[in-house]
Amino acid sequence: MGIFDGFGKKKEEKPQPDFSNVQSGSSTTSAAPPAAAPLPNLGPTAGTSGSEQFYTVVAGDSLSKIAKHFYGDANKWPQIHEANRDQIKNPDLIHPGQKLRIPGA
Amino acid sequence: MMMRHSKKIHLPLCLALLMAAAACHGNAANNTAATPGVRVTDVTLGRSVGGDKAITDRTETFKPNDTIYASVATEGSAPSATLRAKWSFETGQLVDESTRTIAPNNRERTEFHISKPDGWPAGKYKLEVFLNDQATETKNFDVRGS
Repeated sequence: MGIFDGFGKKKEEKPQPDFSNVQSGSSTTSAAPPAAAPLPNLGPTAGTSGSEQFYTVVAGDSLSKIAKHFYGDANKWPQIHEANRDQIKNPDLIHPGQKLRIPGA
Repeated sequence: MMMRHSKKIHLPLCLALLMAAAACHGNAANNTAATPGVRVTDVTLGRSVGGDKAITDRTETFKPNDTIYASVATEGSAPSATLRAKWSFETGQLVDESTRTIAPNNRERTEFHISKPDGWPAGKYKLEVFLNDQATETKNFDVRGS
């Protein structure tokens, strides 16, 4: 029946594979950029709420780098990891643009 | 009077020259690397890498339980450059995306790898490599059931 044939029919959709458990990593022959380089865009970018702050990840960031900035101690990165379990599965892998909750120091 | 007349003639001419220069610059940018000083020269895929981060078991057809490695060769020097590997499945579904910031000095290699504990679904995949957020190379590969 022409153009109306498709209406009301459910399309058979192939289920999308689940890639949520993909593990990734990287290594390089190159040296890391100088540690003294200031973190760009540091500081709360989505406001603060009580003692909680938010930070938007930029390229080159790591949880320990962010912990060092906010707490003065890179070893406190698990606090940030814990507060953002919902969006950080692998603490070695954060993505530019992610908004992280920074719990009070 | 003469001056004003001369300005009227030259203004459109200058604009045309500026536009032509901009067009030339655009073409040049399309043919060269994304970042001044650093460029991606090669991307290879395989099942393992050596200490020099070069692929030791090169392939573009993987098995579901393989760890998939991509070795990205760069040439040039810069205080900082960011490489990004974006892996996607045939439908465009994002598989993984990871970045690595390097301080390249002449020839360097950076490897990215992905694995999936319960095995890769069979199908076609794509790897896109970005240098400082500009696409530089795309590689297609397959996963076939064992």
